Amino acid sequence: MGSEGIRKESSLKLLLFGPRVEDKSLKGLQKEFKQRGTIDVVFLILVMYFVVFGTIMMFSASYPRAELETPEINILKLEFGPYTYLVKQIFFLLIGIPAMLVASVVKTDAVKRFSFLLFGFSIVLLIIVLFFNTGVQSSDGDQYRRWIDLGFMTLQPSDVAKFTLIAFLAALLDTNRQRVETDWKALLPLTGVIVFVAALIVLEKHFSATFLVLLMGFTMMYLGGGKKWCFILVIAVAVVGIVLLVVNMDVFPNYVQERLKGWLDRDYDPTGSRWQTNQSLYAIGSGGLFGVGLGNSKQKHLYLPEPHNDFIFSVICEELGFIRTVLFVIVPFALLILRGFQIAMRTKNRYASLLVMGIMVQVGIQTFFNIGVVTGMLPNTGISLPFFSFGGTALIMLLGEMGFVLSVSRRASVNE
Amino acid sequence: MSLPQTNENTLAKRALHVLIIIVVLAFGACIFYLGYVQLGLGEEYRAKAEANQLRDSEISAERGVVYDRNGKELAKSASAWKIVIYPNKMADCKPAREIVIKKLSSVLKISEDTVRAKAEMSQYGNMVVKYRVEKDVREKMLEVLKQECYEDTNEKGQKVKYKFADFVGIENDVKRYYPYNSFASTVLGFTGTDDVGTGGLELQYNSILTGTPGRKITAVSGSGDSMPSEYETVVDAVQGTSLVTTLDETIQRYLEEGLDQSIKDTQAEYAYGIIMDVNTGAILAMSSKPDYDLNNPYEITSQTVRDHLDEITDERKRDEAETTAWFNQWKNRTISDTYEPGSVFKIITAAAALEENIWDLSKTYVCGGAIQVDDRRMHCSHREGHGTQTFSQAFANSCNPFFIQLGLDMGVDNFYKYFEAFGFTERTGIDLPSEQLGMYHSAESMKKTKVQLASSAFGQSFTVTPIQTITAVSAIANGGKLLKPYIVAKTLDPDGNIISETQPTVKRQVISENTAQIITGMMEDVVSTGTGQNAYVAGYRVAGKTGTSEILEEPGEYVASFACFAPADDPQIAMLIAVKKPVGEYYGSQIAAPVAADIMQKVMVYLNVEPKYTEEENAHVDRNADNVVGKSVEEAKQTLTNSGFNVRVIGSGETVVEQVPSSNQTISANGTVILYTEQNAEKQVTTVPDLTGMTVNQVYAAANQAGVNVSIVGNAASSSFISYKQDKEVNSKVYCGDTIVVYFKSTSSDAE
Repeated sequence: MGSEGIRKESSLKLLLFGPRVEDKSLKGLQKEFKQRGTIDVVFLILVMYFVVFGTIMMFSASYPRAELETPEINILKLEFGPYTYLVKQIFFLLIGIPAMLVASVVKTDAVKRFSFLLFGFSIVLLIIVLFFNTGVQSSDGDQYRRWIDLGFMTLQPSDVAKFTLIAFLAALLDTNRQRVETDWKALLPLTGVIVFVAALIVLEKHFSATFLVLLMGFTMMYLGGGKKWCFILVIAVAVVGIVLLVVNMDVFPNYVQERLKGWLDRDYDPTGSRWQTNQSLYAIGSGGLFGVGLGNSKQKHLYLPEPHNDFIFSVICEELGFIRTVLFVIVPFALLILRGFQIAMRTKNRYASLLVMGIMVQVGIQTFFNIGVVTGMLPNTGISLPFFSFGGTALIMLLGEMGFVLSVSRRASVNE
Repeated sequence: MSLPQTNENTLAKRALHVLIIIVVLAFGACIFYLGYVQLGLGEEYRAKAEANQLRDSEISAERGVVYDRNGKELAKSASAWKIVIYPNKMADCKPAREIVIKKLSSVLKISEDTVRAKAEMSQYGNMVVKYRVEKDVREKMLEVLKQECYEDTNEKGQKVKYKFADFVGIENDVKRYYPYNSFASTVLGFTGTDDVGTGGLELQYNSILTGTPGRKITAVSGSGDSMPSEYETVVDAVQGTSLVTTLDETIQRYLEEGLDQSIKDTQAEYAYGIIMDVNTGAILAMSSKPDYDLNNPYEITSQTVRDHLDEITDERKRDEAETTAWFNQWKNRTISDTYEPGSVFKIITAAAALEENIWDLSKTYVCGGAIQVDDRRMHCSHREGHGTQTFSQAFANSCNPFFIQLGLDMGVDNFYKYFEAFGFTERTGIDLPSEQLGMYHSAESMKKTKVQLASSAFGQSFTVTPIQTITAVSAIANGGKLLKPYIVAKTLDPDGNIISETQPTVKRQVISENTAQIITGMMEDVVSTGTGQNAYVAGYRVAGKTGTSEILEEPGEYVASFACFAPADDPQIAMLIAVKKPVGEYYGSQIAAPVAADIMQKVMVYLNVEPKYTEEENAHVDRNADNVVGKSVEEAKQTLTNSGFNVRVIGSGETVVEQVPSSNQTISANGTVILYTEQNAEKQVTTVPDLTGMTVNQVYAAANQAGVNVSIVGNAASSSFISYKQDKEVNSKVYCGDTIVVYFKSTSSDAE
């Protein structure tokens, strides 16, 4: 390209956002707009829909718990009575939405170029969190080391790592495309990277995130063109392994065994390992076809564990009923993912394709796992529902990721 | 960059694979499974969720009120409280649970094990540990609730403080309360710990007295606290049906006072009485003494029984004896005891004989003191024999041989026909629980041996219940109608609207009105000239019959009874008084008749029955002295003399300052009124003389000498009536002119 109409930028800015048009006249702006391309409006609307609807449902689900935890409004202690979670989530949105807008103008190439740096940064965070964490003790006596306290919010490095891993894997797959597509051994170092991240997350005692990272990485490698038989083999081994493990549960730590038993037997230990799932099912069952009405969930009144977080979907089911839950939650997720994949396929930039698909895979897997867990289809494990669950790091990162997808959609539209 | 076409397709193909797996397979599975859970299993889960979320607590309903016929509350429900615990909340904090158990056990005085058993039912949100606690305990509990119970550290390391109020609550309850304590206790019955009637009306009408408990359904959160109030449903408790009884508080009180006095005087084991409205069968009063305090039914009221219990050292035997004692004092003997009616039953034999024309009224009978029946020689109570008597005289004399003859003359079939007709073979059907039935000879059995018929004819060798006797006697009084006795007149809903009203039930016409009238006349003679003279009530015509019977199982022990009704010319009420096992004297005429007379006189006055005095009676009738205070001495003298009183003036004043007795005291017609004419004059004092064991004239003389007035109770018409009791103690000090009540009764030896 390179024309005289384009002003010289400082190198980082240029790197991130590309060259800008010097001509400030309407014609010049139009030209710049054309050059940058238009973002995908359908995708943006879907994202904004999730942001608004997700926040409303999070507020409804969190109200009773917030009221119990922080009965008084005390701004200095960041307590807002029953609105505590809502206020905090809105605060995260105030960071997340600008982050999304910024990300939507960042050049995808820049992401690729900085992906190693970003990945390295998140690895550092994952290591830091092992030593500097909020140290929540679980009921089983395990120490959860998932969060770094930033004072105004807590940072969950695993949520950061999910994205950086996608960005880094996409870069590796794109760069080493030839080898990946021809030599199965090329997958080994990639697998190494994935396992390394997974291992760090395991140390946090965050198994659901570990599993998510492994599955995401696996899918990325498949998309990246790895030999098919490798994947079939891994799936076969995994299936056999899972069956063997479920049959011989003794190899798992006690609490994992309990959860598995609770999953397989609906009547197992209703006040113990099965408690959470049962409460979730009671909520879903109470909703029936049409729901009890927005705000009217009873199960959110301290029966459901984490009604604002992992079990928010149960509250949605109870309040909105089956039909609306499918129409307003599951179908939009499917549309978002479809649209994301469309954007990925439209762009000629292979890195951008892999990045967007990776992000969409992450959203898809998380949604599937969350719904699977709360409906009792999958064993109970803590995994959040994108856009709906309360959580700063996850929401900000997710919106950032949406920004990158929008950025790709913009460049896809100009056939870069 | 130019890339091979095939590889581009690889990405697209693989993207499609992933897309299908995620969107179609994974999301499809989500929708499918969600539908299965939410719609397929939805009902089951919804039910479980509701069981989880709803705390269903019962709101105690008040029992209906029991009123006397004038609207006085004999039994009512008052506010109380119940103590509840929240076992599900305690399950999360076991050390706190132990503390709560210990605390409740000490404050509520219930065993720790009892509390623990309930506290450990963690599946429940709400368990009652104590019902019906009183205000004082409630206040203690309110204090306890405020106290801190336990401090714990939660998973986030924060300190959590628990108060007792987190695990314990106080809810409204009701408690049965009897404002008149022991009043009509054996009739009313009391309620047990579960607010269920255990005897008497409380048992008989338990199902309608019991209200419908309300429910408070509160949605509770996972931590057991109430959710916002829009989830709360309250179904108010409905008070039970109230009963308006036929009992009259005043008449009942007279009866109870009379029976209490009788037990005190005779040291009898039991005394019981029934007063019935002869025209309807309504029970105006019913009592069985000794009874008990309804508010404290487990306290033994009889001192004798208590002493006896204290003597028993063996704990088990003592418990048994105590239980027996409880049931004894709770027992309504007027319907649950059977006794031999004795001579009172002669009323029935006489009525049967008259109705069947067995014996002409003018036909005489010669009593030689005994009669031969088959191989048995049966004696008259008057060993020397009554000589030649008419039917009426034989009735007044209560002559056994005459009634034996009467029985034998009428035969078994006639006798049994009336025995049955007067209701002695069936329960009366009074609306009270545990009515008994006596033992009697069947017609077949009586036909085999004459002795059975002969002894039955004068009221021996079979047993009846007091309620049967009074019902039969009422049939004489009301012209031959056998009524069904009843005690609940009306039932009222909680707003006081009448739900049902009892209509008098006439079971059958037993004898003709004419026969009934003749028997009434004979019964009147019993009181005026015969064995029942102690039941004489000046101004009122009382018809009655005495009865004395040896208790079959306990030879040497007697039941003295008296059945009567009044006024004879227009019968209103019938009364049966029975005194069981009196010490010393045991004749119905001596033991039961005076009690009946005393009660009858008060009841007649209370019922505003106009007294009709004979010339003779007028001389003894007590009346109130005229009020002459403030009048001139002359005027006062004139007034009092005109009224038939004597006057004594003390002091030299011109007007009367004070008079003894005052105008609200009654004195006998020839009594003396003392007038004081000077301000602050010292009132003259005298010593109470012994006025017992005298004829009426002797009493007047002695009283006059001592300067006191007398009031006569009982029959004092002739010299055969002797005073036996006075209300003021001998040698105590009274003011001159004060009235001493003197009681008279007959002492004739053949009185029965």
